[in-house]
Parts: sequence; C-alpha cells; structure tokens
Amino acid sequence: MSSRTDGGAGRLSQMIQENRTRVTVLAVLLFLFLAAFGGLDREDWFSTIMQGLSVGAITFLVASGLSLIFGLMDVLNLAHGEIFMLGAYFGWTIYTRFDTALDIVIPLLLLAAPFLLMPIWRTMASRVGTTAAVHRAIGWVLLLGGGLVTWLSITRFPLVIWDAKEFAFSPGSYSTQVDLGVLAPLGADSFNGAAVVAVIGLLFGGVILALAVSFFQRTPAEAAVSPRRMGAAAGLVLLAIVLHLTKGSINDWVFGLSTSWRFFLAMAIAVAMGAAVGAFIEVLLIRPLYDRPIYQLMLTLGVGFILIEVVREVWGRPEFTMARPALFNGTGEGCPGQGIGGFFSGCSTVDMFGARLRVYNEGFVFLVGILVLIGVTLLLKRTRIGMIIRAGVQDPDMVEALGINVRRVFTLVFALGSSLAALGGVLAAPSIGLSTGMGALFLLSALIALAIGGLTSFPGAAAGAVLVGLLQQLIIRFGQNGIDLPFLAEPFKPTPTLVPAASVLLMVIVLLLLPAGLFGRSER
Amino acid sequence: MTLLAMRDVHTFIGQFHILEGVTLDVPEGEIVALLGRNGAGKTTTLKTAMGLTPARSGTITFDGVDISQRRSFDIASMGLGYVPENRAIFADLSVEENLRIAERQKGDFAKKEEFIFDLFPDLKRLIRLPGTNLSGGQQQMLAVARALVPDNRLLLIDEPSEGLAPVIIEHMMEAIRQLSDRSTVLLVEQNFIVASRLAQHYVIVEEGRTVQAGAMADLVDDEEAIKKYLGAA
Amino acid sequence: MTAANATVSAGFRSWLQRRRGVLLLAAALVLFPFVISILIDGQGVGAVLANDQGNARFLQGLAIEIFILALYAISYDLVLGITGLLSFGHAMFFAVGAYSFGILLKSFDIAWPVALLIVLVAALIQAVLFALVLPRVKGITFALVTLGLASVFWIVIQSSDLSDWAGAEIGLQGVQPPVWFLDTTNERFAFYLVTIAILIGVFMVYTRIVDSPAGKVLVAIRDNEDRALMLGYNTFWFKLLALTVASITAVLAGALHALHQPIVTPNVAGLGFTVTALLIILIGGVGTISGALVGAAVFRLLQFYLDKWFGGASDLLIGLAYVAIVLYLPFGIVGTWRAKAVQRRKGLDFVGSLVSGRKR
Repeated sequence: MSSRTDGGAGRLSQMIQENRTRVTVLAVLLFLFLAAFGGLDREDWFSTIMQGLSVGAITFLVASGLSLIFGLMDVLNLAHGEIFMLGAYFGWTIYTRFDTALDIVIPLLLLAAPFLLMPIWRTMASRVGTTAAVHRAIGWVLLLGGGLVTWLSITRFPLVIWDAKEFAFSPGSYSTQVDLGVLAPLGADSFNGAAVVAVIGLLFGGVILALAVSFFQRTPAEAAVSPRRMGAAAGLVLLAIVLHLTKGSINDWVFGLSTSWRFFLAMAIAVAMGAAVGAFIEVLLIRPLYDRPIYQLMLTLGVGFILIEVVREVWGRPEFTMARPALFNGTGEGCPGQGIGGFFSGCSTVDMFGARLRVYNEGFVFLVGILVLIGVTLLLKRTRIGMIIRAGVQDPDMVEALGINVRRVFTLVFALGSSLAALGGVLAAPSIGLSTGMGALFLLSALIALAIGGLTSFPGAAAGAVLVGLLQQLIIRFGQNGIDLPFLAEPFKPTPTLVPAASVLLMVIVLLLLPAGLFGRSER
Repeated sequence: MTLLAMRDVHTFIGQFHILEGVTLDVPEGEIVALLGRNGAGKTTTLKTAMGLTPARSGTITFDGVDISQRRSFDIASMGLGYVPENRAIFADLSVEENLRIAERQKGDFAKKEEFIFDLFPDLKRLIRLPGTNLSGGQQQMLAVARALVPDNRLLLIDEPSEGLAPVIIEHMMEAIRQLSDRSTVLLVEQNFIVASRLAQHYVIVEEGRTVQAGAMADLVDDEEAIKKYLGAA
Repeated sequence: MTAANATVSAGFRSWLQRRRGVLLLAAALVLFPFVISILIDGQGVGAVLANDQGNARFLQGLAIEIFILALYAISYDLVLGITGLLSFGHAMFFAVGAYSFGILLKSFDIAWPVALLIVLVAALIQAVLFALVLPRVKGITFALVTLGLASVFWIVIQSSDLSDWAGAEIGLQGVQPPVWFLDTTNERFAFYLVTIAILIGVFMVYTRIVDSPAGKVLVAIRDNEDRALMLGYNTFWFKLLALTVASITAVLAGALHALHQPIVTPNVAGLGFTVTALLIILIGGVGTISGALVGAAVFRLLQFYLDKWFGGASDLLIGLAYVAIVLYLPFGIVGTWRAKAVQRRKGLDFVGSLVSGRKR
C-alpha cells in the first residue's frame, strides 16, 4: 500500500531499485554517447544526430516488424531483411519501370490464385487413399512437376523489356537507361499466342504446386471453400487478365505522373506487396511448423536465401540506384533552404544549426519513421486488434480460448510486419541504392536493435534502432575526423567496414549484462 | 438436458497419454464438480473440451454438436467460457481491457458490466490498473469475470479456490453460485468442501479415466470413495 | 603373454566387427580413384599415383571438398544436433582455421606443425569464448550473440586494415603447401588419403563420444537442460566440451580448406556458410552424426550438378530444395532411414520367411 500512496518519487526510486543493472547500463551508454558527441564540433554534432536518427528510422521499420512477429509468434523471421530488400526492388520497379512491375505482378497473381482454393486441393489429396509414404512421394513429384511447369511458363511470359540478354549485351547503356527511367519500346503485342499459353501454364503450375502442398498435409480441409474465397480466386485471375489487356493505357497514365506521385504510388504498392508476401509466407510456410520452432527459424533462413536468388533471377543485375523524387530534389534558386521552413522549400538540402541536412534522408525518412512509430503504438494501445496482439504476446492459447481466431491474427501481424519492412526498403532505396545484400545488412542492424531493446518490446525496438543508428553514424563520423587516442601519435580512423562491427559489439556487451535487453522482461 | 457430453476421450500431450478414457455429462443449468487427485487429468479434461489439447479419439458434443475436431476459438464462440488454473490474466492489459478482449460482439461488456461489478465490486475500483498489479484473489475474480462478458452457456472453471484466503474463497463461492443462475458450470476443485457445497453433480477421474459419477448428495455420504479417490476428506 | 595377445587380438577383432561399416567405407574411398581411372579414364593405377589429369584427379578434388564439408558439418551436428545449442556463428569456427592456418603459412615463416599447434590453440580460445557466453544467454539470444561474434570476425577479415594478411574482400590467396602430403596440386592422391584419414578418424571419435556417458549427458542437455542440471551434472563443462571438440574439428576442416582451395574467400565466415552446415545436416539428418557425411556428399554433388545444368539458377533451386526439406523431410536421409529401420527389418524378416517357407 505504501508504494501506492507515496506517489511518483517513491515509485521511481522503487523502479530504480528493481532495475539496478538496467539503469546502470542505460546511464553508462548515455554517458558514452555524450562523451563521444563532446568530441565533435557543433555542426558535426547536429548532423550526426540527424543522420543517426534517419538510419535509425529505417532500422526501426525493419526491427518493429521483427519484434511484433517474434513477440506474438515466437518466430524470429530471418527472411525479414529480404522482405525489406524486396520492398526496395518493388518500389524501384514501380518508380522507374512501372511497365515491368505490372508485368511481374500479373504472373504472380495467376500463380497465387489457385492457392486461395486450398481446401479443394486438400480434399482431393485426402481422397487419394494410399499410405503416407506414397502420398509424400506424389507430393514430391507434383512439387517438381509444378515447379517445372511454372518455370517454363514464366520464362515464356512476355515481359516488356525485362530482358537479361539485352543487359548482357550492353550492360553500361542498359543500366543508365534503367536508372534514368528511360522507356524502352513497349512490347508490340501483349496478347499473342505465347501470352495465352503462359497464362494458362501459370494457372496450371499454381494448381499443381497447391496440390503438391496438399499432398504433404494429408488431412482433409477443415471447411469447404467459401463463396467469398471462390470469388477472390476468380477475381485474382480476372484482375490479372484485365491488367494484361489494358497495361498499355495504365502505363501511359502512370508515366504521365510526376516523380513525386510515382514515388508515393511506389510506397503504397510496395507496402501492399510486402503485406501480401508476408501473409503468403506465414500461411504456406510458417504455419505448418508452429510445433517445430527451430525448423521455423531454419525455414525463414531458406526463404531469405530464395528471395535473394529470385531477385537475382528477375532483376538480372545486382545493383541499382534510385533517383530521389522531385519533391526532395530541388536545386538552384533559393536552395539550400534555411531552418525548419527549409524542409518545405522543395530543395534537396537545408541548412540548420550550421549543419547541412538532406531533406529526403534527414527530413522525410525520419518523419515517416516517427509516423510509423506513432501509428503502430496507437494501433497497439487503442484498437481492439492491438489489444489482441498485446494479449497474444503473453498467452496466445488463452486468447484463442476467448473465441478469437489467433491464427488469423498471426497472419495479419506477419503481413503488417512485412509491409513495414517493405516500406523501409522503399524509403531506403533513394538514399542507399539497391543491392541484394541490403537485406542482410539491415537485418543485422535490426537484430542488434532488437536484442539491445529487448526482443519482444516494441518501444525497445525503437530505442534499439535509434541507438544503433546513432552509433553507426558516430563511427562513420569519427572515421572521417579521426579519434585522438591516448597512446597513438596519429588520430585513429576506423574504416567504414568496421561500422557494423561496432554495433555488434554493443549488442554483445548489452546482452551479456542484460540478457533480456534494455526494455525486455526477463525470462518467465 | 445434457449440454456437454464427453465419451471415452483420449488425449496425448506429446508422447504422453494423459486422458485414457474420460466420459462425463454436464446437464444444462447445473454445477458439475470434476474431482480427483493431482495429476489425475482434470485440467487436461477441461483443456480438451476447450480444444486447447485436442482429443485424439472419442467424441465431445456441445449442445448436440460434435466439437472434438474444432479449433479452440470456434468452440469458444459456441458459448464456452474458460477460466484456466493459472488464471491467465493478460499482464500488459488493464482490467478493463482484460474484460473487453472477451467481447464476442460489440457491446457485450456494456450489457454485462452491472452484473459483473455486482459480483466483484473490487474490479470496478481497479478498472484502470494493469493486470500485473492485481493480487491473486483479484486476478481470480478477473479471470471469472472475463468468462462472463460474452453470453456463455457453459463455464469451465479450473481451481477457483486455489491459493486464496478463506474470506475470498467464500466470496468466490458466492459468485459462482450466482453466476450459475445464468450458465452451466463444470468446475474443477481440489477443495472437496467447496466442491460439495457448490455442485449438484460430481465426476471423479483417476489416472485419466472416469471412475465414478453421480449426484453430489450421494458422494458426501460415500466416505470410502472420498478416501479412495480424493485422499483424506 | 599369449593370453594377453589373445585378448588384444580379440579386442581388435571385435573393434573391427563394430567398425565394419566405416572401415569398408574407408577402403572403398581409397580404391575409388583407381576404379575411376581404370573404368572411365582408361588409364592405369599408375595414373592416379602420378597425379595425371583426368576424371580420377578431378573427382578426387570434388571428394576432398566433400570430406572437408563433412568435417565441418559433423562438428555443427555435435553442437546443434547432439547438444542442442543453436549457434549461428559456426562458420567462424571454420574460418578461423582457414584464415589463421593460411596466414601463418603464408605470411609468417614457421613450420607447419607449429602453425597447426597455434591454430588448435585458437580453436580452444574461440570455444571458450562461445562457452563463456552460454551461461548468460540461452536459446535465441545465444543464436544472436554467436551470430554477432561471427559477424565481427567476418567484418574484420574483410577490412582493408588487414588486407596484407587476409586479402580483404577478395580473400586469402597464395598459400603454399608446407609438405608434400599436404600438396593438393602435385600430390593429390596423398592429400586425398590424408583427408580420408582425418575424416574417418574424426567420425570414429564422434561416434565414440556420442555413445559415451558424456554423450548421453549432451543429449540430455538438448532435451531438457533443467533436468540434466537436477541430475547433478554441471552442464557448463559438457557444453564446453562439445564446443571445444566441434571447434577443433571445424578448425581442422578450415585448415584443409586453406590448403585445398587456391583462395579462401571471406564467405566462409559469413552467415551463409553456417547455413550451408545447417543445410548439410538437415539433408543428412540432425543429430545423427553419420548424416553429416551423407548430407555433405548429397549437398556438394547437388550443388555441382545443378550448377552444371542450370547455371545461375542453381542457387535458387538449392534454396527451394532446402525449404522443401525443412517442411517435408524433417529427419533427413539418415534420420528417416533409422526411423524406418524397425519396419524394414520386419519387412526383410517377412520376405525371408516367404523364401524359406517357414512360419515364424
């Protein structure tokens, strides 16, 4: 009773008592950061903080999804970095090559449609009454056959200019064209015989693959296909065909938009695609393995690997750059902008407190990060679904026993986390470019941020991400300026490759002192 | 009329055969006590009925519908409320959120608010507090209250008196008696005195099997059975 | 004296009995190049010994790669499959061996046995480093910390500060074979025999460990550490033992890798290479030890032929195969084989009873 009547001061001192190690670690970290910033000029100081926050914001977008997924489902999704990467590639494609993006989406829609009708395939598979071994053998044969059919159809699908050969002949000019977003001539005839064959082939491939998966599950479906699902599947196919037929005019319209609008469009679509990919992964791959946790982890590793290879196959070339949208790329008269108002002047840079900041990186990216932080916090604290997520983190069985379909919530959260990662990917693309390695890099940062913040704590993910971002930028800055170390004659200049190593070391130290992280609960 | 019926139910947890043939009937509108020693399979029986540890064989019907292969949320939605042994209060949620999360339709809580706070006046006072700050007795009340939010026809209550002070046990018994006016109750209870005062019927399980069942009034006089299956009374 | 001799020879005979499978495998592997040389290349026995070009020489090279992978994977199986430690930094064990042995031979002019000794000490140190982390962090956090430690190593060997020794992003090249039987270019058959000997030796040691009381404790730790603790075992020392043995094995594999490959790329320290080990023991069967050998052979041959047939798409296919195995073949080849052993024996008995016409 006394602690309740003592009021704030008493409770604070009690909290400090209970979390002595935690508070000490925090204080030491704070001191170290302050000391480090003390070694910088004021301009450097401010710009380093802002850059750190910007990198932190992107790291946060990856880490937040990881944390939600891990908290609710105990799945450490090691493919999360690759979903981030996929977001960047989706975004880039929609931004610079909308025509090709459309061409990639169409076969995916066709391939996904049969999977909506899973109950049918499962019932079909369960009707084939043989032993488990034969069932599995049929599954493997179908898996290989379906893969082959899909591969053959997808390579025959008329992609507009996505021609790896063209790239192979003249990589230089192809790259510059692609980077500038110069249009290659559109495909002459988008509905010829080859396309029809490819459409049917893809549908067929999807059916065989779905059937293969059902053969492994071996249990009849829990419920028949609802008319809604039927409609959705038919809708996907129809959508794919309509998109295919009308893509000429859609492309013309999109390329008529300004780069800013196209960028926002890219963000929106990449987020949606990220959610779709996430939901797809959860339903098809993660869900069968909830009773084999380590295999889930191994599986996500494999999925990440596959996504990288898919990107290599589809995009053909490992690296791209992405031009900043016009809104953040102004130069000339009146630029750089001054002060806070400068962020809205349409310039690419702004001068503030003597430091030169980039409007896109230090303004827009940071702003989106903050908005996502606020948005997800509100979602968690204020909505029913957020309430269910918070309860599910603790005890999913009990939530289920209250009459809530937890699996659907799992899928939803996986989709949400993936969409946040994809959003991070699009945002990162204009500032750091695209590469197949970007996923692994940010996954590492995000894992470090998570581990520092406490694996399942959402605020912890935010705090960890900011810490990691600040630390990385500090090291980079010191790499430029050099540090005067007591025993060395020349200032020590850490090379840029050592940047990730520093944050890894920070994680290892924090974890050894606080195994549950800064904000995490200790093991139950 | 029988609301819940389990026939020769077998349940495995991992490789362990926990239930080896549980059979029981819960008549509508009454309180049935599920009795037995520690580890006899009482909690697993409730969990199996709830779909949390699905039965491998046997049938479970609720209101005439076979629920043995259904998912837990589906079973709950048919009107089963579950109050687990460890209470399973959501620590991060406030008392109010703990109650609201149990809503199956919007407005469930508002409808039941008065009834719940009449039963457990304490909860009204604590409504803003996070679940983790409640005492054991308050958590137990919250767990029962949570099961009362939707219109449940059957409540599965696991060890409501465990670890509570005598005064609070008294309060809890009164509450269960009152709520049994509205719904049927299947009660797991170690404390035979509590069980005998609340329930009209009893089922005894021993090593995962139903060994005896009947009217509570008969069991109270059957000292041999009490000694044999429940230890010293 | 004769009695002692008799017991010794009896002991030896029973040892031969027990190890029949492994010894037969070793003998078959030794004969393998000669068979290839005669049957496919149409050359004689001398061609193998003379290190002539041809399928025999090439396949020996591929086999050596398989043996090295098997050594590496078997050590991961001890850590993950037997002891249940989810380490994501296992590639570091291998890379430390490859890099330190290579650098010692190339940049520091010291005798190879001394270099080997130093590398073994390094193995001991890294095992202790991993084990020190253990009491603090468990499960997923251990995975993260080991991943972190390995990433630091991966980053450091790529840094330009160390490029004189480690060759930065390109990797370590120009390691000269220190002695004739470790010369894979000019004396491939000798090197082939050396790797076989090491692999078979390590395999026997591992099966011995797993069957020993200590091995039982390791399995107990994997299944339920609290129970092992309650039984009075200081699980820390057993985990340290597993990590040390694994580290030494992986370091040996790394040293062989540095000798066999013209260039040691930093990839062998990355997460991808840990995943390779994971993939191998998944294919073979987690926790089966012999699964690592089967898995390494299947993995390398699959990789080789997929690369030959599909070129760039082979990695994608390997990834898909990996996911399919995780989902649908969770016990791997050896694990599934063993699980079916009882059924198979019944089947064989049944067939036998049909043949002999006797009812059992």
